[in-house]
Amino acid sequence: MSEIYDIGYRHYDGPRLGAGHAARALTVHSLRGVFGLGRTARSKIMPFALGVVMLLPAVVSIALMALAKQRGIPYSGFAVMMQAVVAIFLASQAPTVVAPDLRHRVLPLYLSRPITVGQYVTAKVCAMTAAVFLIIAVPLVLMFVGELLVDLDEPLPTKEFAGSLVMALVLSLLLSAFGLAIASFTPRRGLGVASVIAVYLLTWAAVPILYATFQSTGDESGAAWAWLLNPFWLVDSVQSWLFGTPPHSIEGEYPSGPASALILVVLIAAALAALALRYRKAAAR
Amino acid sequence: MNTVVAGITYRALLGRRRVVLLLLLPMALVGLAVLLLAFGAADQRTAMQLMDKFAIGTMLPLLGLIAGTGVIAPEIDDGTILHLMSKPISRPVIVQTKFLVAASLLALFAAVPTYAAGWLLVRNEDGIAPGFALGALVAGVAYAAVFLLLGIVTRHAVTIGIVYALVWEGLVGNFVPGARKLSIQQWAKSIADQISDSAFLRADVTISFAVPALVVVTVIAVVWAGRRLRVFSLTGDE
Repeated sequence: MSEIYDIGYRHYDGPRLGAGHAARALTVHSLRGVFGLGRTARSKIMPFALGVVMLLPAVVSIALMALAKQRGIPYSGFAVMMQAVVAIFLASQAPTVVAPDLRHRVLPLYLSRPITVGQYVTAKVCAMTAAVFLIIAVPLVLMFVGELLVDLDEPLPTKEFAGSLVMALVLSLLLSAFGLAIASFTPRRGLGVASVIAVYLLTWAAVPILYATFQSTGDESGAAWAWLLNPFWLVDSVQSWLFGTPPHSIEGEYPSGPASALILVVLIAAALAALALRYRKAAAR
Repeated sequence: MNTVVAGITYRALLGRRRVVLLLLLPMALVGLAVLLLAFGAADQRTAMQLMDKFAIGTMLPLLGLIAGTGVIAPEIDDGTILHLMSKPISRPVIVQTKFLVAASLLALFAAVPTYAAGWLLVRNEDGIAPGFALGALVAGVAYAAVFLLLGIVTRHAVTIGIVYALVWEGLVGNFVPGARKLSIQQWAKSIADQISDSAFLRADVTISFAVPALVVVTVIAVVWAGRRLRVFSLTGDE
């Protein structure tokens, strides 16, 4: 025996669940945190209130289908129509995913476990993507179920519905990657909320002005590019290219689809890279 | 007014990352004005759209939110407000000082760039630039007071402020004309309309309602914020 005293401390010799399990647990924990589950009642108010607001148009649309026998909101245009609410949800909840860990400097604690910086960032992005996807997709599914039950005379727009779900996922990934990248630059929640909404509002308010200006100079095709500055219209332009849906811009067509898709992929990659770089630095502190 | 409190607040707002955001928005406004100028679209209609939709409609509420909540909310979040409150300074005076700091920052970061952008596009034609600059100045003071109060009342001040600025002033105001009467943004437009005689500008709220409303809202918000801080108790973090 090498020990001088054996005071009965025992080693853990049960099964070890590994890094994958830790990453999954972190994802689920972050996702619950976005909706305030497992936190105080006060932090549940905002996400659930916004979720209810997102459901209202779906309910109105079902009522319209049942009573007036006509479609309310097209599935493909739902995200663009509700963009202000989605953006507020992203802005108010993205900082809750990243800010507390930065503020309380618990990142070294996470990284002393089998989890790596890459897995940590992936888990956070997955959680936020899932949250934004839920906010957009639940009303869409509700609307589709409603349409199934109401049974309109027209054929079911299954392809449009499936397309809108796929694009909702892409949109969620784009929004979450950007939202988290911006929010992770400050450990303060309030400032994070303001930064994310400021960047969104810049794109939202500048686009119609730029569009009108280019159009007044007679440059119709150049004006169309202005829509791509806003994430919602960018994803909508990819959707109208991939699934042949009508454009949901305020007016005018989108420029070419493949170019929009390329911009979309580049933007997502850039945001994820910024996030990874940011956390490499944060972890080193 | 307490100069030490004012100094600390200025440093907290201008010395950290918050100043990046305070600079980003006015820079975007002036940048857009330069872009419009470069494309030869510098007429009254575009100037009006830029002023109305971007300067007053987007930049001003956001800056008001960042400055108004920024002067007090981070201290409440950190709990460092206790150090300030335990000093023999009357709490309404703390609130008044912080309000003045926020209002002065808004004058610098919102009203001055608004004037600059307007001047770049149409010079002083029909009083558009000075009109909107004065509107931004007065509305900025009101926003500072309201969002300061919000920062003391709730920890979700920024989110609630965004919902007010975006949903109430933006969406509801577009569909329900009555909602425009209760919107700081519309009061700013009334003041701009008073100074400018451009044909493109049409305010929905009369000046005889807007000016008293701005004064009343500002005074009530500052006084109420002072009262709230007097009975303030720091609760645990979520």
